[in-house]
Amino acid sequence: MTAKPAALGASDKLTFLLSLVPFLMDHDRVSVTAVADHFGVSPERVRDAVNLIAMSGVPGETRQYLHGDLFDIQWDEFEANDNIVLTHLVAIDDSPRFSAREAAALIAGLQYLSALPENGDRDAIATLMAKLTRSSTGAPSQLAVSRTDADVTISVIQAAVRAGTQVEFDYLNSRGTAEHRCVDPLRIESVDNAWYLRGWCHLREAMRTFRLDRMSDLRSTDVPADSHDDGAPLPDTLFEGSADDLTVTIELPEAALGLLADYGPVPVAPGAAGQHSRAQLRVSHFHGLKRLVAGLAGVVTVVDPGPARQTVADWAAAGAARYDNDPAGGARIDDDRADGTSA
Amino acid sequence: MSPTPEQPHPVTVEERLFSLVLALIATQIGLTKTDILSTVQGYRQRFRVGADNASLERQFERDKDDIRELGIPLETIESPDDPGSNHHLRYRIPKGLYDLPADIAFSPDEIMLLKLAAAVWREGSLSAESRRALTKLNSLGIDSSDPVIGYAPSLRAREPSFEPLGKAMDRGQVVAFLYLKPGESAPRRRVVAPLAVVLHEGRWHLYGADQDAGATRTFLLSRIVGPVVTVPGVLIQRADDGQGDRALAELDALWRAQVALITVEPGSDAAVRLSKRGEPGGAAESVELHYTDVNILADELAGYGPEVYVLSPATLIDAVLDRLRRVRDSHQPLTNPDEEAAR
Repeated sequence: MTAKPAALGASDKLTFLLSLVPFLMDHDRVSVTAVADHFGVSPERVRDAVNLIAMSGVPGETRQYLHGDLFDIQWDEFEANDNIVLTHLVAIDDSPRFSAREAAALIAGLQYLSALPENGDRDAIATLMAKLTRSSTGAPSQLAVSRTDADVTISVIQAAVRAGTQVEFDYLNSRGTAEHRCVDPLRIESVDNAWYLRGWCHLREAMRTFRLDRMSDLRSTDVPADSHDDGAPLPDTLFEGSADDLTVTIELPEAALGLLADYGPVPVAPGAAGQHSRAQLRVSHFHGLKRLVAGLAGVVTVVDPGPARQTVADWAAAGAARYDNDPAGGARIDDDRADGTSA
Repeated sequence: MSPTPEQPHPVTVEERLFSLVLALIATQIGLTKTDILSTVQGYRQRFRVGADNASLERQFERDKDDIRELGIPLETIESPDDPGSNHHLRYRIPKGLYDLPADIAFSPDEIMLLKLAAAVWREGSLSAESRRALTKLNSLGIDSSDPVIGYAPSLRAREPSFEPLGKAMDRGQVVAFLYLKPGESAPRRRVVAPLAVVLHEGRWHLYGADQDAGATRTFLLSRIVGPVVTVPGVLIQRADDGQGDRALAELDALWRAQVALITVEPGSDAAVRLSKRGEPGGAAESVELHYTDVNILADELAGYGPEVYVLSPATLIDAVLDRLRRVRDSHQPLTNPDEEAAR
């Protein structure tokens, strides 16, 4: 089901070889490092590819791969000065088309980006999609992404990132506490349809990640943001653990582990086939946990510690209690028609 | 001087594939399988005259598939003297279909946007497809304009069914899978001709022609349990281009038609987040939320515990209450009565 890593590697390498030839053709003399920069690969990879290209060609009339049937380069220039000068071409002289799937991946990515305020020029995006469609071998696969409504907060934060100024807003954390925050905004990130701001929080004096939909009264300020460009890249994971995190053991079907991938569950006791398995999560407090578990009813159960179980039980009980005197509360779930998206 | 390819050296996969592509582009009339196996670099070293070359032939079949997956138009031509015979089939890559159309050009701004679109896919098969598309794009030698700073939007497709469905769609295959519909106790086997895979409201859906129902249906990828298998022998016409848009339009219509009325606890997480997404209802603190799937909305609302009270529809009230009760009941104290006393 998943692609063999070896085959994937060869596909990437072949694509690079086929792309490198037309690029070199357009550049009479180019350094290995310039090529590496342009393609975003290591200089070693460029050298390996050039070596391979220079020894490759077609069988030719004699079927012997004679010298004239092969690509050629100025070897002295390559070996002594790390420059590439292509002197003989074989068979290909143009960039390859995109595959249907490659074009589809870029088109779907563009559809997603069109939600961003900067990319609001829908005509430009449509033109670009049409170009990709014409540049692909087959009709791009039908992969589509719906437009999400761009939140104005994105524009405000983006402007502040550019201007290098602080933003301030009220933020309600998952414990339910509202605090006023002043933040040096560094980056807006998204995962599917959830949007986040990453930045330096002056209240906590630390890097923090904020959900955009938990912000209220966002304002940009004239206060210059401090420089945080100390060369340390932002970690890829949105949330980082801290030393005083609590460890919670949960029980869930093996297949459901993916639902919690963002929380980095560590399996501790894999269940037998069809059985539930146990995993450990690290959480900063139980209040985020209770929301998570209540939103995954029937899938995830907290095993211990006891206070974590209790917090979850109390949360759900308080929610259920609101319907106690409601006559509608006892009805059965039987209205199939309302289940819109399933067939 | 280049080293001559006659000297024995192990031929890497990418060298064999590269040589095959060059040979098939260079030929006008096409090469037979025997031509290829006996003359092309990487095959000829292993070819044995007058002997059984079955494993080499299988290698060629796999290489052909890999090359086509990259969007390279590898054609098969039947011999006019001997139609239907596999033995005299000829293979070639028509250069006109291989080359990117001559009138296609991308501006530095468009390159910048395409790089951002490719970066949207951080994981999975589409990230590899995007990476190869960018390599091909880089072969044009156009420098990107300065990237928009401060953005890292990303999309995920963590459902294991995503990749096999995409492949089946590209190949015009019919698939079968087990689908667990909420409210049903056991999953049911569905046989579907996939037409589009779309992301709507942050969730991946399959739009396809249900072979048993004889009509199009929409499925949530997260409810496909177990593997997606292709149904052998059944091939369908590849779907026309509008399928993705059609699927999204249907989901949008469903989203608009279904509306829930809830009240939110003032100042709570639910009030901050859900009020942003919905429209104010008639009464104070009430919010109207559109939705496509009642069970998914119920999962989300149950996570808010007592912060949300559902007024309508009745199916949603039942679904939320059922979830809250299940979470409450499954988190009762385990065995230790002290924990109960400590409340």
